[in-house]
Amino acid sequence: MIDLTRWHPTARQALNWGVTVGSVLLCLLVLPTRFPGMALLDVGPNWLLIWVVAWSINRTVFEGATAGLILGWLQDGMSSPNPTHALSLVVVGALTARLQKQRYIQEDFISIALIVFGMAVLAETITAIQFSLQTIGTASANQHLGKIWLYHQRIALTSAILSSLWAPAVYYPLNRWWEHMAEFEQPQA
Amino acid sequence: MYAVRRWWDRNGIRLGLISLALGSAWLIRQTQGGLIYEVYRGLAQPFVQQTPQVEQSKDPKVLELEQRLVELESQNRQLQELLGYVEKHPSGGTVAPVIGRSADHWWQQVILGRGSKDGIQIGAIVSGDGGIVGRVVQVTPNTSRVLLISDPTSQVGVTISRSRNMGYIRGQAANRVIMEFFDKVPDVRPGDVVSTSSYSQIFPAGLPVGIVESVNLNKSPAPEAVVALSAPISRLEWVIVSPNPKAGAAELSSHTDLDPNHKNQLESASGVASAEDRP
Repeated sequence: MIDLTRWHPTARQALNWGVTVGSVLLCLLVLPTRFPGMALLDVGPNWLLIWVVAWSINRTVFEGATAGLILGWLQDGMSSPNPTHALSLVVVGALTARLQKQRYIQEDFISIALIVFGMAVLAETITAIQFSLQTIGTASANQHLGKIWLYHQRIALTSAILSSLWAPAVYYPLNRWWEHMAEFEQPQA
Repeated sequence: MYAVRRWWDRNGIRLGLISLALGSAWLIRQTQGGLIYEVYRGLAQPFVQQTPQVEQSKDPKVLELEQRLVELESQNRQLQELLGYVEKHPSGGTVAPVIGRSADHWWQQVILGRGSKDGIQIGAIVSGDGGIVGRVVQVTPNTSRVLLISDPTSQVGVTISRSRNMGYIRGQAANRVIMEFFDKVPDVRPGDVVSTSSYSQIFPAGLPVGIVESVNLNKSPAPEAVVALSAPISRLEWVIVSPNPKAGAAELSSHTDLDPNHKNQLESASGVASAEDRP
């Protein structure tokens, strides 16, 4: 293990950012894959959502929302910018940061999995609402709405189950790293 | 002034980092994630089989049918030439490996391991074993993204090969698509072959799509049929990308897959809602 205590604070900061950006990149690269065991009905876990939850859980609302915006734009680039993924991830980031974890839930795997489950359902619902708004005004709106919400049920449930099961895989190492980094910052502040 | 300076000293770096992150995220969004897909392709390359598997043992019956098909196709082309009806046939294709699926749940897309360096262009037709699977919506030098016909937003004008009844198919995010007819009483029965129609502005006419599985003539507002796609959409490994003679038209009017004139005529005749194709 490299002794990080002897590093210059700026170098340590740079490493911290490097690891954070690297983890986002890793999540992005896993998105198009469907490994056996990671997909149900051809739907995989929502890795970016897990990342946003892991990031926001110990941070302020502003930081959570910013991370949601950045990762939402990234996902827009990876799939389709219309409707945007940024909206759902911003809401997820802000809400996760707002949760009064200290008071209501302890911070462990189970509660992380639960938060991710709820947030995944919320995120897919926001996307479904965006799709619905797009179809309103077209001639066959009724027909489309029915299909969108039927599809939503399937996606929301599958995505929520898979994401919550895989959440610790992203949350645990990242959180350990950030806590480790925070320990260095503490004595100086 | 002092307060501003102090605030800047404390938050300047953070502000810079945030704007840097936002800027690069926006850049990736505007370039459609091209860079990320290039990296992804580089990582996926070692895991892709270098040559597509070809089934060597073909049934003698299949071979006979294939030869008859070639014969009929060339006869058909000769007759079309006699009639003065000349359409460019899609010729030559690139074989491309499928290296990934859609990066979100609402879109049915696949990522191919070949791109503009191999001559793939936006709008190119992608077909698998047995029929069309979609069209290319984005290319980078070494990858391309395909919108599958099973995507709910993907709507293609099709026809029943036997009776020439027209309609369009709508994806259902699975290996089945729904075909809606323009006629009130179409002549269709299970087992009929469905292929792209000449009204389609995105795909050339006559490409095989699938086989009718069941028919519901009482459906409102238009009769419907469930079509089983002939290409195995959910487990594609290799596909063939061929240049699209209608690619120019598809880009010009990428929002409707049906010829506007015919569409209006057909809509007024049968009251079918508009068929849109979002790129």
